[in-house]
Amino acid sequence: MWISSLAMDLVRHLRYFTVVAEELHFGNAAIRLGMAQPPLSQRIKRLEEELGVRLFDRSARQVRLTEAGRLLLGEAREIVARVDRLRELARHGEGAVLKVGVPPDLAAAVIAALVAGFRESHPEVRLAPAEIWTADQVAALAGGTIDVGVVRHPVTAPGLYFGQTLVQPQGVLLAEGDELAQRAEVHLADLAGRELLMPPKEGEPGMHAEALAECRRRGYVPAQVHEGSGLGLVMAGAAVAFGPRQESPGLAWRPLIGSPLSYRISTAWRVASDTVADFSAAAVRTLKESAGMAEQSSAPVRRVSRRPGALA
Amino acid sequence: MNEIELGEVFAAAGVEGWLHAVDIDGGRECGYQPDATRPIASVFKVPLLVELCRQADAGRVDLAERVLVPVAGRTSGPTGLSAMRDEVSISLRDLAYLMIAVSDNASADVLVERVGLEAVNAMLAGFGLDATRVTMNGATMLDSMAEDSGHAWPFQDVEELARMRALDPARTNRGTPRELTRLFAMIWRDEAASAELCGWMREVFALQVWPHRLAAGFPYDDVDVSGKTGTLPTIRNEAGVVEYPDGGRYAVAVFTRSFSPAVNQPRADAVIGTAAHMAVDHLRR
Repeated sequence: MWISSLAMDLVRHLRYFTVVAEELHFGNAAIRLGMAQPPLSQRIKRLEEELGVRLFDRSARQVRLTEAGRLLLGEAREIVARVDRLRELARHGEGAVLKVGVPPDLAAAVIAALVAGFRESHPEVRLAPAEIWTADQVAALAGGTIDVGVVRHPVTAPGLYFGQTLVQPQGVLLAEGDELAQRAEVHLADLAGRELLMPPKEGEPGMHAEALAECRRRGYVPAQVHEGSGLGLVMAGAAVAFGPRQESPGLAWRPLIGSPLSYRISTAWRVASDTVADFSAAAVRTLKESAGMAEQSSAPVRRVSRRPGALA
Repeated sequence: MNEIELGEVFAAAGVEGWLHAVDIDGGRECGYQPDATRPIASVFKVPLLVELCRQADAGRVDLAERVLVPVAGRTSGPTGLSAMRDEVSISLRDLAYLMIAVSDNASADVLVERVGLEAVNAMLAGFGLDATRVTMNGATMLDSMAEDSGHAWPFQDVEELARMRALDPARTNRGTPRELTRLFAMIWRDEAASAELCGWMREVFALQVWPHRLAAGFPYDDVDVSGKTGTLPTIRNEAGVVEYPDGGRYAVAVFTRSFSPAVNQPRADAVIGTAAHMAVDHLRR
């Protein structure tokens, strides 16, 4: 018995090690692990004793990995991921729960279709969806509070795996009474003088930056960018918003001339499992069918200007 | 300047940031995640230059020695010998100038051959700079990205980026903001090599041509900005020294990682200067 409890303990300690190595800050790591800092420090010390090497250099005012720590980190991550996978496999088929993150501004019908689509193929797995923005999903995936997410791109996060990328062309949502609503199509520059409603920048940093860069490039510089996902401001005529084709009372949806804006979305996970892979495949199907998304290959590939100053 | 303010400034430019700034003479310092080990990209050319100078001081290398750099096998890049079409005959110190002034990869790799990465790392260890290590020359760094992605530049697929050795702090050329400012402070205090060659290094860093990062934060005719940039997909760095007319000299290192893989992001470049200015202002207050 003592062998197995030691092994379990070692895995737990290795998990602490990987989190501290990512944060390089005992306080932050403790918060992420949901524990107090002193026991975390003690456990790292015990792991160092067990392995007979120092993993962190705490002599400076901040924490850094030692050479040995750096060497062991990859292996530790591998072990932790494999144990997670083992647990996942063991849980599979026994009333397992799949914790899923979805962007809060995804239409309610789409979220419902996602859940239904997966339930059809996996009635034994309970889907626990949570509405969280991309940046928070990345943190939740790292901390293990969700198993798989549906994220907006671009998102660069070391250690994440992504499913197939789908694109969703965006049109503009206007108040019904807006004079632009009389046109069949709208150019981004036509929006000049109108304020813009976007998902929160903190939650969707990549998408936010790309969309606003595109607006500026096409001659639309919103005087103010409101953050939120409710469309009340748009209905009131106080702002415009971007979104997929939709019919909502009080609102007019118009395509943008030249399709300048396409949001990209994919599933994301840190620890692979059959359940995650199946959810990912079901999500691609559902998003194509019920959210008007298309495979990325249908989006034009942009050339990249090779400027020395941007590369040196 | 507080941590939250800096974090917001970085976030508004679409990047995560790491910074350290120190008054070279007074020792006052400030930072934002200053001890995190990050990919330094072309900033690795700084310790390479220091070790080249130390070997010259020791008489093992003659900086005036001319070398022939053939076209075949030349490391690629957008500037300097990397961008040139013909065989070049050039002195070691002029290679060093090109390596710093325009971040020439071909020049850097000729010097790596001559100086040796082991010697660079031994020098860093000798100075107690334990988080800073140079594991690959320019060619290896570039080749690894093509190998890890299976295709040529540009590298913008986020999944490929997540797995690149060149972007993994455990495997790539790496350092912390605090260690880089220490190295620069040593060059400015004549401690990194002989006073003569430290002086030459300062001249070379002052000749760096890029205006869009550190220098962008100090738009004053009477302020000198010297430094070395480093760039890889999503990574934009610069470390260097800012000198005021009243004699104040500050070593600053700013490392960033952008949320978007887009190559041309002037805001992400400029925030390096903005954050550096905030830090230096804080030290001068």
